[in-house]
Amino acid sequence: MKGFVLACLLASALSNTSQRVLAASDDDKWQILQKAALAAHALSYQGIFVCQSGQQSKSVQIKHFFDGQNEFARNVLLDGSPREVLSQGSDLIIYNPKNEKIVIEKRRGQNMFPAVLPANLAAVKQSYTLRTGDIERIAGRSAQILFLEPKDDLRYSYRFWIDTEYGLILKSVMFNGRNEMMDSISFTQLNLVNTVDLDWFKPKIDSKKNYVMEDEPPAQADYNPSPHWMLKELPAGYRKVDQMLRTVHGKPLPVTHVVFSDGLASVSLFIEPVTNGVKPRAGHSVVGNTSFYSTVAGYLQITVLGEVPEATVAAIANSVVFVK
Amino acid sequence: MTEQISALLDDEIALEDAEHLMAGMQANGHGAEVWSQYHLIGDVMRGANALSPSFKEDLMAKIDLEPTVLSPNAAWMNEPKVFNETNALDEVSNKKQALEAKSKSFATNLPVVWSIAASCAAVMVVGWMVLQTQVGNQAAPTMVAQATPPQEVATLPVTNEQGVPVEYLMAHQASAPSASSYYIQSASYTE
Repeated sequence: MKGFVLACLLASALSNTSQRVLAASDDDKWQILQKAALAAHALSYQGIFVCQSGQQSKSVQIKHFFDGQNEFARNVLLDGSPREVLSQGSDLIIYNPKNEKIVIEKRRGQNMFPAVLPANLAAVKQSYTLRTGDIERIAGRSAQILFLEPKDDLRYSYRFWIDTEYGLILKSVMFNGRNEMMDSISFTQLNLVNTVDLDWFKPKIDSKKNYVMEDEPPAQADYNPSPHWMLKELPAGYRKVDQMLRTVHGKPLPVTHVVFSDGLASVSLFIEPVTNGVKPRAGHSVVGNTSFYSTVAGYLQITVLGEVPEATVAAIANSVVFVK
Repeated sequence: MTEQISALLDDEIALEDAEHLMAGMQANGHGAEVWSQYHLIGDVMRGANALSPSFKEDLMAKIDLEPTVLSPNAAWMNEPKVFNETNALDEVSNKKQALEAKSKSFATNLPVVWSIAASCAAVMVVGWMVLQTQVGNQAAPTMVAQATPPQEVATLPVTNEQGVPVEYLMAHQASAPSASSYYIQSASYTE
Protein backbone atom coordinates (compact mmCIF):
# COMPACT_ATOMS: atom_id res chain seq x y z
CA MET A 1 0.00 0.00 0.00
CA LYS A 2 2.75 2.35 1.03
CA GLY A 3 4.56 1.49 -2.17
CA PHE A 4 1.48 2.21 -4.21
CA VAL A 5 1.04 5.65 -2.64
CA LEU A 6 4.73 6.39 -3.25
CA ALA A 7 4.43 5.32 -6.86
CA CYS A 8 1.35 7.53 -7.37
CA LEU A 9 3.06 10.50 -5.77
CA LEU A 10 6.09 9.93 -7.90
CA ALA A 11 4.03 9.62 -11.06
CA SER A 12 2.23 12.88 -10.35
CA ALA A 13 5.53 14.53 -9.48
CA LEU A 14 7.06 13.27 -12.71
CA SER A 15 4.25 14.63 -14.84
CA ASN A 16 4.69 17.92 -13.03
CA THR A 17 8.29 18.41 -14.12
CA SER A 18 7.59 17.53 -17.70
CA GLN A 19 5.37 20.60 -17.75
CA ARG A 20 7.95 22.63 -15.85
CA VAL A 21 8.12 26.20 -16.98
CA LEU A 22 11.05 28.58 -16.56
CA ALA A 23 9.28 30.95 -14.21
CA ALA A 24 8.22 28.29 -11.75
CA SER A 25 5.94 29.39 -8.95
CA ASP A 26 7.09 28.90 -5.35
CA ASP A 27 4.93 25.80 -5.00
CA ASP A 28 6.42 24.28 -8.15
CA LYS A 29 9.96 24.72 -6.86
CA TRP A 30 9.13 23.00 -3.59
CA GLN A 31 7.40 20.32 -5.62
CA ILE A 32 10.67 19.57 -7.43
CA LEU A 33 12.44 19.25 -4.09
CA GLN A 34 9.65 17.10 -2.69
CA LYS A 35 9.90 14.84 -5.67
CA ALA A 36 13.68 14.60 -5.23
CA ALA A 37 13.15 13.53 -1.62
CA LEU A 38 10.79 10.81 -2.82
CA ALA A 39 12.72 9.67 -5.90
CA ALA A 40 15.80 8.79 -3.83
CA HIS A 41 13.72 6.19 -1.96
CA ALA A 42 11.27 5.04 -4.64
CA LEU A 43 13.54 4.55 -7.66
CA SER A 44 15.96 1.72 -8.35
CA TYR A 45 19.31 2.99 -9.55
CA GLN A 46 23.03 2.36 -9.55
CA GLY A 47 26.02 4.54 -10.12
CA ILE A 48 29.12 6.12 -8.68
CA PHE A 49 29.28 9.33 -6.71
CA VAL A 50 32.18 11.36 -5.34
CA CYS A 51 32.17 12.77 -1.83
CA GLN A 52 34.34 15.76 -1.04
CA SER A 53 34.84 17.23 2.38
CA GLY A 54 37.76 19.40 3.39
CA GLN A 55 40.92 17.98 1.81
CA GLN A 56 39.45 14.52 1.33
CA SER A 57 37.62 13.02 -1.59
CA LYS A 58 36.21 9.50 -1.91
CA SER A 59 34.37 7.64 -4.66
CA VAL A 60 31.44 5.47 -3.68
CA GLN A 61 29.60 2.87 -5.70
CA ILE A 62 25.89 2.74 -4.96
CA LYS A 63 23.15 0.33 -5.87
CA HIS A 64 19.67 1.13 -4.62
CA PHE A 65 16.62 -1.05 -5.12
CA PHE A 66 12.97 -0.42 -4.23
CA ASP A 67 10.61 -3.37 -4.70
CA GLY A 68 7.44 -1.35 -4.08
CA GLN A 69 7.62 -2.01 -0.36
CA ASN A 70 11.17 -2.24 0.89
CA GLU A 71 14.36 -0.39 0.13
CA PHE A 72 17.73 -2.06 -0.20
CA ALA A 73 21.01 -0.28 -0.82
CA ARG A 74 24.65 -1.23 -0.94
CA ASN A 75 27.30 1.46 -0.87
CA VAL A 76 30.94 0.52 -1.34
CA LEU A 77 33.82 2.90 -0.82
CA LEU A 78 36.05 2.61 -3.90
CA ASP A 79 39.01 4.62 -2.58
CA GLY A 80 41.09 3.68 0.43
CA SER A 81 39.87 1.01 2.80
CA PRO A 82 36.87 -0.83 1.32
CA ARG A 83 34.20 0.15 3.82
CA GLU A 84 30.71 -1.05 2.90
CA VAL A 85 27.37 0.30 4.03
CA LEU A 86 24.35 -1.95 3.52
CA SER A 87 20.94 -0.55 4.31
CA GLN A 88 17.51 -2.04 4.45
CA GLY A 89 14.97 0.70 5.08
CA SER A 90 16.52 2.73 7.88
CA ASP A 91 18.53 -0.19 9.30
CA LEU A 92 22.14 0.16 8.44
CA ILE A 93 25.04 -2.25 8.69
CA ILE A 94 28.53 -0.90 8.18
CA TYR A 95 31.45 -3.23 7.43
CA ASN A 96 34.40 -1.21 8.51
CA PRO A 97 37.90 -2.64 7.93
CA LYS A 98 40.18 -1.79 10.84
CA ASN A 99 43.68 -3.23 10.77
CA GLU A 100 43.33 -7.02 10.61
CA LYS A 101 39.65 -7.03 11.49
CA ILE A 102 36.39 -6.06 9.88
CA VAL A 103 34.21 -4.35 12.44
CA ILE A 104 30.47 -4.69 11.95
CA GLU A 105 28.56 -1.63 13.11
CA LYS A 106 24.78 -1.35 13.28
CA ARG A 107 23.13 2.04 12.97
CA ARG A 108 19.80 3.69 12.35
CA GLY A 109 20.34 5.28 8.98
CA GLN A 110 19.23 8.64 7.72
CA ASN A 111 20.16 11.14 5.01
CA MET A 112 22.36 8.78 3.00
CA PHE A 113 23.08 10.38 -0.36
CA PRO A 114 21.06 10.87 -2.57
CA ALA A 115 18.30 10.56 0.07
CA VAL A 116 19.55 13.64 1.91
CA LEU A 117 16.16 15.36 2.17
CA PRO A 118 13.53 14.55 4.79
CA ALA A 119 10.21 13.18 3.50
CA ASN A 120 8.42 16.06 5.18
CA LEU A 121 9.80 19.39 4.03
CA ALA A 122 7.64 21.52 6.36
CA ALA A 123 10.52 22.21 8.77
CA VAL A 124 12.88 22.99 5.88
CA LYS A 125 10.32 25.41 4.36
CA GLN A 126 10.19 27.25 7.67
CA SER A 127 13.91 28.00 7.80
CA TYR A 128 15.00 28.17 4.15
CA THR A 129 13.91 29.84 0.94
CA LEU A 130 14.13 28.11 -2.42
CA ARG A 131 15.03 29.56 -5.79
CA THR A 132 15.70 27.95 -9.16
CA GLY A 133 18.87 28.37 -11.19
CA ASP A 134 20.10 27.23 -14.57
CA ILE A 135 20.04 23.82 -16.16
CA GLU A 136 23.48 22.15 -15.99
CA ARG A 137 24.92 18.85 -17.06
CA ILE A 138 25.95 16.46 -14.26
CA ALA A 139 27.08 12.84 -14.80
CA GLY A 140 25.99 13.09 -18.43
CA ARG A 141 22.47 14.08 -17.43
CA SER A 142 20.53 17.31 -17.49
CA ALA A 143 19.99 18.86 -14.07
CA GLN A 144 17.96 21.76 -12.69
CA ILE A 145 19.82 23.80 -10.07
CA LEU A 146 17.93 24.69 -6.91
CA PHE A 147 19.31 27.12 -4.31
CA LEU A 148 18.16 26.41 -0.77
CA GLU A 149 19.11 29.49 1.22
CA PRO A 150 18.74 30.04 4.97
CA LYS A 151 16.44 32.79 6.22
CA ASP A 152 18.94 33.62 9.02
CA ASP A 153 22.61 32.94 9.86
CA LEU A 154 21.89 29.90 12.03
CA ARG A 155 22.40 27.39 9.21
CA TYR A 156 24.36 26.86 6.01
CA SER A 157 23.03 27.06 2.47
CA TYR A 158 22.68 24.20 0.00
CA ARG A 159 22.68 23.85 -3.73
CA PHE A 160 21.03 20.86 -5.37
CA TRP A 161 21.27 19.67 -8.95
CA ILE A 162 18.09 17.70 -9.72
CA ASP A 163 17.82 15.28 -12.64
CA THR A 164 15.18 16.77 -14.95
CA GLU A 165 14.00 13.32 -16.01
CA TYR A 166 14.36 11.08 -12.94
CA GLY A 167 13.85 13.79 -10.34
CA LEU A 168 16.80 12.42 -8.36
CA ILE A 169 19.41 14.62 -6.66
CA LEU A 170 22.52 14.33 -8.82
CA LYS A 171 24.65 16.69 -6.79
CA SER A 172 24.42 18.37 -3.42
CA VAL A 173 26.78 21.06 -2.13
CA MET A 174 26.80 22.82 1.24
CA PHE A 175 28.16 26.37 1.54
CA ASN A 176 29.00 28.37 4.67
CA GLY A 177 28.07 32.03 5.30
CA ARG A 178 31.12 33.21 3.31
CA ASN A 179 29.97 31.15 0.35
CA GLU A 180 32.86 28.68 0.76
CA MET A 181 32.13 25.10 -0.19
CA MET A 182 31.94 22.94 2.97
CA ASP A 183 31.19 19.62 1.36
CA SER A 184 29.96 18.24 -1.92
CA ILE A 185 28.55 14.95 -3.14
CA SER A 186 28.03 14.39 -6.82
CA PHE A 187 27.15 11.49 -9.10
CA THR A 188 29.69 10.90 -11.84
CA GLN A 189 27.67 8.06 -13.31
CA LEU A 190 24.04 7.06 -12.81
CA ASN A 191 21.46 4.83 -14.41
CA LEU A 192 18.13 3.36 -13.45
CA VAL A 193 18.04 -0.42 -13.04
CA ASN A 194 15.39 -3.01 -13.58
CA THR A 195 16.40 -5.76 -11.19
CA VAL A 196 14.22 -8.11 -9.25
CA ASP A 197 16.86 -10.29 -7.63
CA LEU A 198 18.79 -9.34 -4.52
CA ASP A 199 21.94 -11.35 -5.28
CA TRP A 200 24.03 -8.22 -5.01
CA PHE A 201 22.70 -7.32 -1.55
CA LYS A 202 25.55 -8.79 0.49
CA PRO A 203 28.97 -7.61 1.52
CA LYS A 204 32.09 -8.72 -0.27
CA ILE A 205 33.64 -11.14 2.18
CA ASP A 206 37.33 -11.19 2.89
CA SER A 207 37.99 -14.70 4.19
CA LYS A 208 41.41 -13.69 5.50
CA LYS A 209 39.93 -11.21 7.97
CA ASN A 210 38.09 -11.64 11.23
CA TYR A 211 34.59 -10.22 11.40
CA VAL A 212 33.65 -8.82 14.80
CA MET A 213 30.75 -6.78 16.15
CA GLU A 214 31.83 -3.34 17.41
CA ASP A 215 32.27 -3.50 21.16
CA GLU A 216 30.75 -0.11 21.87
CA PRO A 217 27.68 -0.50 24.08
CA PRO A 218 24.64 0.80 22.21
CA ALA A 219 23.05 4.03 23.40
CA GLN A 220 20.03 3.55 25.63
CA ALA A 221 16.81 5.52 25.74
CA ASP A 222 16.85 8.25 28.38
CA TYR A 223 13.80 7.84 30.62
CA ASN A 224 14.90 10.12 33.46
CA PRO A 225 11.70 12.05 34.29
CA SER A 226 13.44 14.81 36.27
CA PRO A 227 16.88 15.57 34.88
CA HIS A 228 18.97 18.33 36.41
CA TRP A 229 18.61 20.46 33.34
CA MET A 230 16.03 22.00 31.04
CA LEU A 231 16.11 23.80 27.71
CA LYS A 232 15.21 27.45 27.47
CA GLU A 233 14.60 29.00 24.09
CA LEU A 234 16.22 27.06 21.24
CA PRO A 235 17.59 28.83 18.15
CA ALA A 236 14.87 29.44 15.53
CA GLY A 237 13.88 26.39 13.49
CA TYR A 238 15.74 23.79 15.60
CA ARG A 239 13.75 21.05 17.31
CA LYS A 240 14.76 18.25 19.61
CA VAL A 241 14.56 15.00 17.60
CA ASP A 242 16.25 12.46 19.88
CA GLN A 243 17.55 11.96 23.40
CA MET A 244 19.60 9.08 24.76
CA LEU A 245 22.13 8.00 27.35
CA ARG A 246 25.57 7.14 26.08
CA THR A 247 28.49 5.41 27.68
CA VAL A 248 31.54 7.45 26.75
CA HIS A 249 35.06 6.12 27.12
CA GLY A 250 36.77 7.62 30.16
CA LYS A 251 33.55 8.92 31.73
CA PRO A 252 32.39 7.22 34.93
CA LEU A 253 28.71 7.96 34.30
CA PRO A 254 26.59 7.78 31.14
CA VAL A 255 26.36 11.08 29.28
CA THR A 256 23.05 12.54 28.10
CA HIS A 257 23.04 13.03 24.32
CA VAL A 258 20.32 15.22 22.78
CA VAL A 259 20.00 15.66 18.99
CA PHE A 260 18.43 18.73 17.36
CA SER A 261 17.59 19.29 13.72
CA ASP A 262 16.14 21.99 11.50
CA GLY A 263 15.17 19.34 8.91
CA LEU A 264 18.56 19.33 7.21
CA ALA A 265 21.31 20.25 9.68
CA SER A 266 21.86 18.28 12.90
CA VAL A 267 23.36 19.36 16.20
CA SER A 268 24.38 17.18 19.17
CA LEU A 269 24.23 18.34 22.78
CA PHE A 270 26.10 16.41 25.50
CA ILE A 271 25.36 16.95 29.18
CA GLU A 272 27.43 15.47 32.02
CA PRO A 273 28.24 16.43 35.60
CA VAL A 274 31.42 18.48 36.00
CA THR A 275 34.14 16.02 37.10
CA ASN A 276 35.89 16.79 40.39
CA GLY A 277 39.47 17.86 39.87
CA VAL A 278 39.05 18.33 36.12
CA LYS A 279 39.04 21.86 34.77
CA PRO A 280 35.70 22.37 33.00
CA ARG A 281 35.92 23.09 29.30
CA ALA A 282 34.64 26.40 27.95
CA GLY A 283 35.01 28.08 24.58
CA HIS A 284 34.47 27.36 20.92
CA SER A 285 36.38 25.91 18.00
CA VAL A 286 35.85 24.72 14.45
CA VAL A 287 37.32 21.50 13.05
CA GLY A 288 36.58 20.91 9.37
CA ASN A 289 32.85 21.47 8.92
CA THR A 290 32.04 20.92 12.56
CA SER A 291 31.55 23.73 15.09
CA PHE A 292 32.08 23.08 18.81
CA TYR A 293 31.02 25.01 21.85
CA SER A 294 31.59 24.12 25.50
CA THR A 295 30.23 25.84 28.55
CA VAL A 296 29.25 25.15 32.16
CA ALA A 297 25.72 25.40 33.57
CA GLY A 298 25.63 24.97 37.34
CA TYR A 299 27.30 21.61 38.00
CA LEU A 300 26.94 20.53 34.38
CA GLN A 301 29.50 20.43 31.61
CA ILE A 302 27.76 21.28 28.33
CA THR A 303 29.28 20.35 24.94
CA VAL A 304 27.54 21.12 21.64
CA LEU A 305 28.71 20.28 18.13
CA GLY A 306 27.33 20.07 14.63
CA GLU A 307 27.80 20.95 10.96
CA VAL A 308 26.26 24.38 11.57
CA PRO A 309 27.55 27.94 12.15
CA GLU A 310 29.16 28.74 15.51
CA ALA A 311 26.22 30.96 16.48
CA THR A 312 23.94 27.91 16.45
CA VAL A 313 26.06 25.65 18.67
CA ALA A 314 26.56 28.59 21.08
CA ALA A 315 22.81 29.31 21.20
CA ILE A 316 21.98 25.67 21.92
CA ALA A 317 24.69 25.41 24.62
CA ASN A 318 23.39 28.57 26.27
CA SER A 319 19.81 27.33 26.19
CA VAL A 320 20.64 24.65 28.79
CA VAL A 321 19.82 25.68 32.35
CA PHE A 322 20.77 23.79 35.48
CA VAL A 323 17.82 22.71 37.65
CA LYS A 324 18.38 21.64 41.26
CA MET B 1 37.15 -24.60 0.02
CA THR B 2 35.95 -21.11 0.96
CA GLU B 3 33.75 -21.00 -2.13
CA GLN B 4 32.31 -24.40 -1.29
CA ILE B 5 31.49 -23.36 2.26
CA SER B 6 29.76 -20.29 0.88
CA ALA B 7 27.82 -22.44 -1.58
CA LEU B 8 26.79 -24.81 1.19
CA LEU B 9 25.47 -21.86 3.21
CA ASP B 10 23.49 -20.65 0.21
CA ASP B 11 21.95 -24.11 -0.25
CA GLU B 12 23.74 -24.54 -3.53
CA ILE B 13 25.31 -27.78 -2.34
CA ALA B 14 23.02 -30.51 -1.04
CA LEU B 15 23.70 -31.61 2.51
CA GLU B 16 24.26 -35.21 1.38
CA ASP B 17 27.04 -34.05 -0.93
CA ALA B 18 28.75 -31.98 1.70
CA GLU B 19 30.23 -34.70 3.87
CA HIS B 20 33.74 -34.10 2.61
CA LEU B 21 33.29 -30.42 3.36
CA MET B 22 32.15 -31.09 6.92
CA ALA B 23 35.11 -33.38 7.45
CA GLY B 24 37.37 -30.76 5.94
CA MET B 25 36.05 -28.08 8.24
CA GLN B 26 36.50 -30.28 11.26
CA ALA B 27 40.06 -31.07 10.32
CA ASN B 28 40.96 -27.56 9.25
CA GLY B 29 40.75 -24.69 11.73
CA HIS B 30 40.53 -22.06 9.01
CA GLY B 31 37.53 -23.75 7.39
CA ALA B 32 35.67 -23.82 10.70
CA GLU B 33 36.46 -20.14 11.18
CA VAL B 34 35.14 -19.27 7.72
CA TRP B 35 32.01 -21.27 8.46
CA SER B 36 31.30 -19.37 11.67
CA GLN B 37 32.15 -16.00 10.14
CA TYR B 38 29.80 -16.55 7.20
CA HIS B 39 27.10 -17.40 9.70
CA LEU B 40 27.83 -14.21 11.64
CA ILE B 41 27.59 -12.15 8.46
CA GLY B 42 24.34 -13.89 7.50
CA ASP B 43 22.87 -13.34 10.97
CA VAL B 44 23.69 -9.66 10.84
CA MET B 45 22.18 -9.31 7.37
CA ARG B 46 18.98 -10.95 8.56
CA GLY B 47 18.92 -8.69 11.60
CA ALA B 48 19.33 -11.56 14.06
CA ASN B 49 21.25 -10.74 17.21
CA ALA B 50 24.77 -11.77 16.44
CA LEU B 51 27.05 -13.24 19.04
CA SER B 52 30.67 -12.23 19.10
CA PRO B 53 33.17 -14.82 17.89
CA SER B 54 34.56 -15.09 21.40
CA PHE B 55 31.09 -15.49 22.91
CA LYS B 56 31.78 -18.95 24.27
CA GLU B 57 35.06 -17.94 25.89
CA ASP B 58 33.53 -14.75 27.28
CA LEU B 59 30.58 -16.61 28.69
CA MET B 60 32.71 -19.31 30.30
CA ALA B 61 35.02 -16.70 31.77
CA LYS B 62 32.02 -14.84 33.18
CA ILE B 63 30.39 -17.92 34.63
CA ASP B 64 33.68 -18.56 36.40
CA LEU B 65 33.79 -14.97 37.60
CA GLU B 66 30.31 -14.71 38.93
CA PRO B 67 30.21 -16.62 42.23
CA THR B 68 33.54 -15.10 43.25
CA VAL B 69 32.35 -11.59 42.44
CA LEU B 70 29.38 -11.97 44.76
CA SER B 71 31.51 -12.99 47.75
CA PRO B 72 32.26 -10.11 50.15
CA ASN B 73 35.96 -10.35 49.43
CA ALA B 74 36.44 -8.86 45.99
CA ALA B 75 40.02 -7.80 46.57
CA TRP B 76 41.34 -9.28 43.38
CA MET B 77 38.51 -7.70 41.38
CA ASN B 78 39.76 -4.34 42.59
CA GLU B 79 43.19 -4.95 41.22
CA PRO B 80 43.37 -2.89 38.06
CA LYS B 81 45.04 -5.79 36.33
CA VAL B 82 43.91 -6.34 32.76
CA PHE B 83 44.12 -9.94 31.80
CA ASN B 84 44.61 -11.32 28.38
CA GLU B 85 41.54 -13.00 27.04
CA THR B 86 43.24 -16.11 25.76
CA ASN B 87 44.51 -17.12 29.17
CA ALA B 88 41.68 -15.46 31.10
CA LEU B 89 40.25 -18.83 32.06
CA ASP B 90 43.51 -20.10 33.50
CA GLU B 91 44.19 -16.86 35.27
CA VAL B 92 40.74 -16.71 36.74
CA SER B 93 40.95 -20.22 38.13
CA ASN B 94 44.43 -19.59 39.54
CA LYS B 95 43.17 -16.40 41.13
CA LYS B 96 40.23 -18.22 42.54
CA GLN B 97 42.42 -20.77 44.25
CA ALA B 98 44.67 -18.10 45.63
CA LEU B 99 41.67 -16.13 46.75
CA GLU B 100 40.04 -19.03 48.49
CA ALA B 101 43.23 -19.58 50.47
CA LYS B 102 43.51 -15.90 51.27
CA SER B 103 39.87 -15.29 52.08
CA LYS B 104 40.00 -17.52 55.16
CA SER B 105 42.56 -15.27 56.81
CA PHE B 106 41.07 -12.01 55.44
CA ALA B 107 37.42 -12.66 56.09
CA THR B 108 37.73 -12.23 59.84
CA ASN B 109 39.82 -9.07 59.99
CA LEU B 110 38.45 -7.06 57.07
CA PRO B 111 36.95 -3.72 58.07
CA VAL B 112 33.23 -3.33 57.34
CA VAL B 113 33.89 -0.56 54.83
CA TRP B 114 35.88 -2.96 52.71
CA SER B 115 33.11 -5.47 52.44
CA ILE B 116 30.69 -2.70 51.46
CA ALA B 117 33.12 -1.49 48.82
CA ALA B 118 33.47 -5.03 47.60
CA SER B 119 29.74 -5.57 47.29
CA CYS B 120 29.39 -2.24 45.48
CA ALA B 121 32.03 -3.36 43.05
CA ALA B 122 30.24 -6.68 42.67
CA VAL B 123 26.91 -4.99 42.01
CA MET B 124 28.56 -2.74 39.46
CA VAL B 125 30.15 -5.66 37.67
CA VAL B 126 26.91 -7.63 37.58
CA GLY B 127 25.04 -4.52 36.43
CA TRP B 128 27.55 -4.02 33.68
CA MET B 129 27.16 -7.58 32.52
CA VAL B 130 23.42 -7.10 32.24
CA LEU B 131 23.76 -3.77 30.45
CA GLN B 132 26.28 -5.11 27.99
CA THR B 133 23.95 -6.59 25.40
CA GLN B 134 26.59 -7.20 22.81
CA VAL B 135 29.88 -8.27 24.23
CA GLY B 136 32.90 -7.61 22.10
CA ASN B 137 36.40 -8.97 22.36
CA GLN B 138 37.56 -6.35 24.81
CA ALA B 139 34.60 -6.84 27.11
CA ALA B 140 36.36 -8.65 29.94
CA PRO B 141 39.10 -6.05 30.53
CA THR B 142 36.54 -3.23 30.29
CA MET B 143 34.43 -4.68 33.03
CA VAL B 144 37.37 -5.17 35.32
CA ALA B 145 38.30 -1.55 34.74
CA GLN B 146 34.77 -0.50 35.73
CA ALA B 147 35.19 -2.17 39.08
CA THR B 148 38.35 -0.28 40.04
CA PRO B 149 37.94 1.73 43.23
CA PRO B 150 36.91 5.39 42.84
CA GLN B 151 40.13 6.71 44.40
CA GLU B 152 41.92 5.71 41.19
CA VAL B 153 42.40 8.70 38.92
CA ALA B 154 39.76 8.56 36.17
CA THR B 155 41.29 8.39 32.72
CA LEU B 156 40.53 11.49 30.71
CA PRO B 157 38.87 11.08 27.32
CA VAL B 158 41.08 11.49 24.29
CA THR B 159 40.91 14.99 22.88
CA ASN B 160 42.24 16.28 19.60
CA GLU B 161 44.46 19.33 19.22
CA GLN B 162 41.49 21.67 19.71
CA GLY B 163 40.60 20.05 23.01
CA VAL B 164 37.43 18.57 21.59
CA PRO B 165 36.60 15.10 22.90
CA VAL B 166 36.88 12.68 20.01
CA GLU B 167 34.27 10.41 21.59
CA TYR B 168 31.67 13.16 21.20
CA LEU B 169 32.47 13.61 17.53
CA MET B 170 32.00 9.89 17.01
CA ALA B 171 28.76 9.85 19.00
CA HIS B 172 27.47 12.77 16.92
CA GLN B 173 28.35 10.98 13.70
CA ALA B 174 26.65 7.80 14.91
CA SER B 175 23.36 9.49 15.83
CA ALA B 176 23.21 12.44 13.45
CA PRO B 177 25.43 11.64 10.47
CA SER B 178 25.84 14.07 7.60
CA ALA B 179 25.63 12.53 4.13
CA SER B 180 29.40 12.57 3.63
CA SER B 181 30.32 11.37 7.12
CA TYR B 182 29.48 7.79 6.12
CA TYR B 183 32.46 7.85 3.80
CA ILE B 184 34.78 10.62 5.00
CA GLN B 185 35.89 10.83 8.59
CA SER B 186 38.07 13.63 9.81
CA ALA B 187 41.64 12.44 10.37
CA SER B 188 41.47 13.30 14.06
CA TYR B 189 39.07 10.52 14.83
CA THR B 190 39.98 7.70 12.54
CA GLU B 191 41.76 4.92 14.36
